[in-house]
Amino acid sequence: MTESSTPVPRAPVPREPVLQARGLVKEYKRVRAVDGIDLRVDAGERVALLGPNGAGKTTTLLMLLGVITPDAGEIEVVGKHLPRDRSAAMEQVGFAAGYLPLPERLRVEEFLVLFGRLYGIPSPAPAAALALERFGIAELARAMGNELSSGQRTLVGIIKATLHQPRLLVLDEPTASLDPDVARRVRNGLERLCAEEGTALLVTSHNMVEVERLCDRVVFVSGGRVVADGTAAEVATRFGRDDLEGVFLHLADGHVADVVQPEAS
Amino acid sequence: MSFNTDRVLAIARRQAYVLQRAPQRWFDVVVWPVVDAVLFGAIGVYFGRQQGAAAASAAFLLAGIILFHVVFQAEVSVATGFLEETWSRNLLNLMVTPLSELEYGAGVALFGLVKLAIGVTVVSIVAFALFAFEITSLGLSLIPLVAVLLFVGWSVALVVIGLILRLGQGAEIMTWGFIALLLPLSGIFYPVNALPGVLQPVADVLPTTHVFAAAQEVVRGDPLPWDEVGIAAGGAVVVAILAVWYLTRMLATFRKRGYISRHI
Repeated sequence: MTESSTPVPRAPVPREPVLQARGLVKEYKRVRAVDGIDLRVDAGERVALLGPNGAGKTTTLLMLLGVITPDAGEIEVVGKHLPRDRSAAMEQVGFAAGYLPLPERLRVEEFLVLFGRLYGIPSPAPAAALALERFGIAELARAMGNELSSGQRTLVGIIKATLHQPRLLVLDEPTASLDPDVARRVRNGLERLCAEEGTALLVTSHNMVEVERLCDRVVFVSGGRVVADGTAAEVATRFGRDDLEGVFLHLADGHVADVVQPEAS
Repeated sequence: MSFNTDRVLAIARRQAYVLQRAPQRWFDVVVWPVVDAVLFGAIGVYFGRQQGAAAASAAFLLAGIILFHVVFQAEVSVATGFLEETWSRNLLNLMVTPLSELEYGAGVALFGLVKLAIGVTVVSIVAFALFAFEITSLGLSLIPLVAVLLFVGWSVALVVIGLILRLGQGAEIMTWGFIALLLPLSGIFYPVNALPGVLQPVADVLPTTHVFAAAQEVVRGDPLPWDEVGIAAGGAVVVAILAVWYLTRMLATFRKRGYISRHI
């Protein structure tokens, strides 16, 4: 994994959608958590799904992964419809979240081999060893899941999510518990993966600086709706702010009504 | 629904690691079987001495407890296999993979068979070593009886998993609670007519009751009553269908109401 912050040259990737969601709605006990979200992510694209706590980000991600059934709307992942073709779709998707622990009674290498097998990798052990090496944590292979620091856990979670070279990588708060150095290494690794493999990235984060560095496009949600969609600079301009942090704080203060209608991406 | 044997074996191996590294999991597999074998074997010997037929009494109780451990181990191994994923907050990790519910269930049940074999072997060895009772003396009759009990155990496990999906981890007590209900109602150690009248109709509809009634006849030296086995097998099929239906409903509710949030 590279430690430099030099942009990784990106291989040309055909502009085809790996994720398309239309009109997603989810209601919990008369509270509408997601209210008609449309989202498209193309191959090789790096998209951030942003918004204050309770905006509907995680519910949206979990619907896109087939874990939560939407009340309305359609989801297509790598050309497969959810929930009908969930299993086939998930072969092409990787997921990691900063808040998920590693199972306690598995060594790191066992954890990676287990998930490698679930994702259909023919020889998961060498792939796991190589991935640990690439992320610079080969020495953790024999460590038990509960012996890792939160940063190490996150790295292993990301390795697990990328082991099968997915076409879409979904990350929920991937760097929330990482120190700046490890966060940078993760960011660089993700950039490299997306550039070299053409993997599309859909990520949620509260770290706006990181999002501006990593993502081509940001989608802001608030109150379960998409309120802005564009490059970081476009979105900041649309809200009359200097940067994404300004937009975030603006939305967190409840200023949703004065948003200019989002442009189609 | 997809079915890939590599994924099934991966889940079975994951369950094996848990048993290997969690000494407390051996309690269900080894300690309970030993406790039950000693307890019911000793009771059988004591009551037998009162009537002058010690060996026969102990055999009656030991055959019952060994067969009860088939249904107990089958149920507990699958239900705790699933619980392990909730305890280690691994459910979301699994749900975002291509793994289907059927593959997951097959993997847990596959390793459950290993745990069942260990548990039933332990209780059988104790029964033989301490009370000279050989379960194999029941002969080939054991095969259909064990098969029905296995299906009932797995079916009860599916219902328990459905309850955990619907109600959360608070329902985990049902892993052991549900199977404990079968103990008195199935006439494991006595004929059903020894139960209070109000409970007898309940006992009659349980497939396990007919398995144990059949086993008791074999222990007495009679041939296997195939009519009882047939009723038990038919009942087990009905129970399995109901259990799969219930689990499917609860899984749909779990996905619809976003109950995964309880496990992350």
